Amino acid sequence: MHELLNDPIDVLVSFKDNRVFPHTMRWNQKDYKIKDVNLVHSAREGSKRVFFFSVSDSNNYFKLKLDPEVLEWRLVELYTDG
Amino acid sequence: MDKIIIHIDMNSYFASVEQQANPLLRGKPIGITGKHGSIAMSGQRIKVNTDGVHDRSVITTASMEAKLLGVKTAMSTWEARKICPSLILWPGDPHKYSEITERFNKIYNDFTTKVEAFSVDESFLDVTEEAGDYFTATFIAQMIRARLRAECGEHITASIGIGPNKLMAKLASESMKPNGLTVTRPEDTLKLLDSRELDDLCGIGPRIKQRLNMLGVETFKQLREFPLDSLESEFNRYGTWLHEAAHGRDSNVIQSSTVHGLRGMSTETPKSYGHSYTLPRNTHDKLIVKRYLLGLADKVAWRMRRDNFAACRITAFIRYGDFSSHAEQRTFYIPTNDGHKLFQVAWQIIGNCFAGEPVRLVGLSASKLTHKPGQQSLFKKEQKIQSVLPALDSLQHRYGTGVWTRGSLVKTHFKQRSSGFHFDHLV
Repeated sequence: MHELLNDPIDVLVSFKDNRVFPHTMRWNQKDYKIKDVNLVHSAREGSKRVFFFSVSDSNNYFKLKLDPEVLEWRLVELYTDG
Repeated sequence: MDKIIIHIDMNSYFASVEQQANPLLRGKPIGITGKHGSIAMSGQRIKVNTDGVHDRSVITTASMEAKLLGVKTAMSTWEARKICPSLILWPGDPHKYSEITERFNKIYNDFTTKVEAFSVDESFLDVTEEAGDYFTATFIAQMIRARLRAECGEHITASIGIGPNKLMAKLASESMKPNGLTVTRPEDTLKLLDSRELDDLCGIGPRIKQRLNMLGVETFKQLREFPLDSLESEFNRYGTWLHEAAHGRDSNVIQSSTVHGLRGMSTETPKSYGHSYTLPRNTHDKLIVKRYLLGLADKVAWRMRRDNFAACRITAFIRYGDFSSHAEQRTFYIPTNDGHKLFQVAWQIIGNCFAGEPVRLVGLSASKLTHKPGQQSLFKKEQKIQSVLPALDSLQHRYGTGVWTRGSLVKTHFKQRSSGFHFDHLV
């Protein structure tokens, strides 16, 4: 099932070499451990640049959006097998 | 000295990027559709239609797994699902692809300054000076492959061809897919050509192949032996090109990079600005067509204002359900870049073309461009509109497309498309 969302989430991250690595996300009162960060890309929203993290655990694919201006994370896409 | 050209063609590009991003799609037949889905509002959940039953889109890229099952690029989604019921339809994400395109073209620029982005997923590199010989060129190609793997992802693969010119390099890269590396030295070009069909060569399409077949030419060997003057009398200047191509010769040089890195988006002065849109469903409803036309006119007008242009000619076109079409143009003396004015002229053209068949596609193009500002209107209402436009433009600059819309267009949605030659958000 493939869904588009726009839900605020909490993300636990680490920083290394000027890069951000998300490790765990909390969505709907549930913690999801991020197994892989598969792709990171950015996009312009007017004069602002936002970052998208395509991440996954064993059963789900999540696309997370980071707005660096307000340090806000949102879950914008979810795909679950089957 | 012969040139040494590398052609790099990403394999099933958009699909590979999605498979890189989402491991649950790997190894599965997926088809990237041309139009991007909606954007969810906060707290909203939108289920994406992955079966394509009501979708009028086309497959812009099929994954390698889908290609093996018979799905082809540009196939309609319903046809693709008929051929491959397990096909997962995935809405394209132009922002993601454009950044990866930018990323790999940046890698190429680390190896040579002569890089030509031929399309969103293909580039030519002139490494004549950097490599000096084919052995070093092969080494450069392998280094590029390693960088692509490290910086774009291991599931985004490319086929690479090396040859003495663009034509042969491209033919070489297409010889082994996916993830191939084919080297064609000048002495090998005829052998490569003779192992391929006429329409495998970039520049020979099915119609030209048919015309050549009617002349008794079915192979490159026969094309080489065909008298040049007969080819020229049949095809004019194109006949000369065919003769040269059959000998593996191509005088085209690498065209320098453009601002956006893509062909058709160069820094040269544009000749026209245009947009067209396939409606969600064929319709007889004039109001629906009118709204889409107004939305398109606003898009065209915004791009002209952004680039400081105004137009003196409008061409409006309409395509019907049976794929017949109608196009007409109007020229005026006072240049304009106001979306509503463009719309009014375009609607005069196509507003009376609603008879019989329902409308499938609508579009307009503004040409005869000038940098001269339009004449200040004597009417207060128009003066007000003219003063509002710069404010709306600065809003759009700051917050992006979609920050404002006309009240009449609130319910009219345009989906973003991913095509092989440009990304909607970059034009």
